[in-house]
Amino acid sequence: MSAEIRARAAAIAPAALRASLPARAMRISLVVLALAAMVQMGRDLDLAPGALLKGVDKLGLFLGAMVPPSSGGQLTRILKALAETFAMAFAGTILAALAALPLGVIGAKTIVRNPALHFAFRRFLDLFRGVPALVWALILVSAFGLGPFGGVVALALADIPNLAKLFSEALENCDPKPGEGVRAAGASPLAVMRYALAPQVAPVMASQSLFFLEGNFRNAAVLGIVGAGGVGFELEERIRIFAFDQAAFIILLYMAGVALLDLGSRELRKRLA
Amino acid sequence: MREDPPHAVAEFERLRRSALVRQRTQAALGLLVFSVLLVVSFQRSQFFGADLGGDPLGRIGDFLDRMIPDLKPQALLEDRRTVGSLAWWFYDLPLWLKAGWQTVEMAILATILGAIAGVGASFLCARNLMPFAPLRFAVRRTLEAIRTLPDLIVAIILVAAFGVGPLPGVITLAISTMGSLGKLFSEINEEVDPRPLEALEAAGAGLWTKIRFGVIPQVLPNYASYVLIRLEGNLAGAAALGIVGAGGIGLELQRAITYTEFDTYLAILMLIVGMIFLLDLASEAIRHRLIGLGGEA
Repeated sequence: MSAEIRARAAAIAPAALRASLPARAMRISLVVLALAAMVQMGRDLDLAPGALLKGVDKLGLFLGAMVPPSSGGQLTRILKALAETFAMAFAGTILAALAALPLGVIGAKTIVRNPALHFAFRRFLDLFRGVPALVWALILVSAFGLGPFGGVVALALADIPNLAKLFSEALENCDPKPGEGVRAAGASPLAVMRYALAPQVAPVMASQSLFFLEGNFRNAAVLGIVGAGGVGFELEERIRIFAFDQAAFIILLYMAGVALLDLGSRELRKRLA
Repeated sequence: MREDPPHAVAEFERLRRSALVRQRTQAALGLLVFSVLLVVSFQRSQFFGADLGGDPLGRIGDFLDRMIPDLKPQALLEDRRTVGSLAWWFYDLPLWLKAGWQTVEMAILATILGAIAGVGASFLCARNLMPFAPLRFAVRRTLEAIRTLPDLIVAIILVAAFGVGPLPGVITLAISTMGSLGKLFSEINEEVDPRPLEALEAAGAGLWTKIRFGVIPQVLPNYASYVLIRLEGNLAGAAALGIVGAGGIGLELQRAITYTEFDTYLAILMLIVGMIFLLDLASEAIRHRLIGLGGEA
């Protein structure tokens, strides 16, 4: 049935079902080229099938050792580490939002009207956007020593350029009419910000900050690994001594925490929107 | 049945007052919860009063000072044996560039593999393409679970299993790429125009033909745009994962920190930032062209 229809369609409009020969040759050679490039990359990275199989074998052992998950009698300690991780994420997000607010105002095209300044500032932020939290954490931990302080600052530093960019975009997307109205009533620039801009952007900014809080809670585990404490530290310790049942317990608890926070924050963001 | 006007006014006042009270208690409650969280967070994370070993600002200054290399203006262009030249600062540049290229390759491979897996998963959990509900549900939950798993934890476990090298890094990034792209792709799939699909179904097409001729032509530009955004993220991710032993330039960064060569650290960091910056620019240009082409068609 289908084949017959296809044959009829091909007779009526050959180009619809089948590309011309040069186009097809081009497409096939592109695919072959891409595949060859991928194989070459795999070779460069020593991705041998043998190593893969051996690793999968070992991974199977690890996963087997994860069942059943066990708290190892340290439930309170793990919960405390989880709370500490959340505290780092929360404090880092708040700091980042506070710092990003003035930067976002400076970066908004509609507020700072000098295009050269705007361009330079945006590129400056872009430069720092590339530095991941882990890299900041490495620097800060070696400056401040082990402990959550460096972790909080690292999370904040990684978020500031991203949040500042989003904040300035939120400010640029504002409806200009309320501002014109407030200004026409004789208000000062500060009053324009308070009564025309803030009501429009505050919900957007709050919802973006919440979004970053979710991300930071997920990333805060990363910080434990470089010595900033929290759940990542506990986890790395367990994995290093191959206590996979305890590691699995922490991972499950952590995933539940992440899911809970995501749920709460999604609910809050829905209300803000 | 006409209502008494004074009564209506009183009713309105009563409603308004209760609405105001409700609004204010909600705001006060929200503020209270927020401040408690704030205080507890800063306290638990020992943000204030932490033992920072005295004079923390001085230590940051010290640290920055050690990160800045002692370049000498008159020796700037000499070879790497001359102290104070640029070549002396970037003394292992060929090796770093090779490691950096390795990181780029890790990001590209992981993005491609993850995107392929994501496409497969997205068709399995799109409401308009997969009629079997339990499978849809299972795939969706699996993708969600993958998205809650932090990359670095996966990477640590995989490094323990596969050994130090790029392989665990590629697998980690591919898994997390599948999780995020699978979800985004399935949302795109569910938003396609259903009419071509109906036409194909009326002509007796099977699932595969429907996907090939009805869905793919509609979704390809959007897919490509998401894949490119993800590629940017994966490059930063690949650089960071190197720090736990997953290969590439992160390994060099970790080495520089362990040997407290802070000026080398800065040099490698600049390479990473430059790399990400270049890729961002390229991918932005490609994405804008894709969107532009989509608009014309």
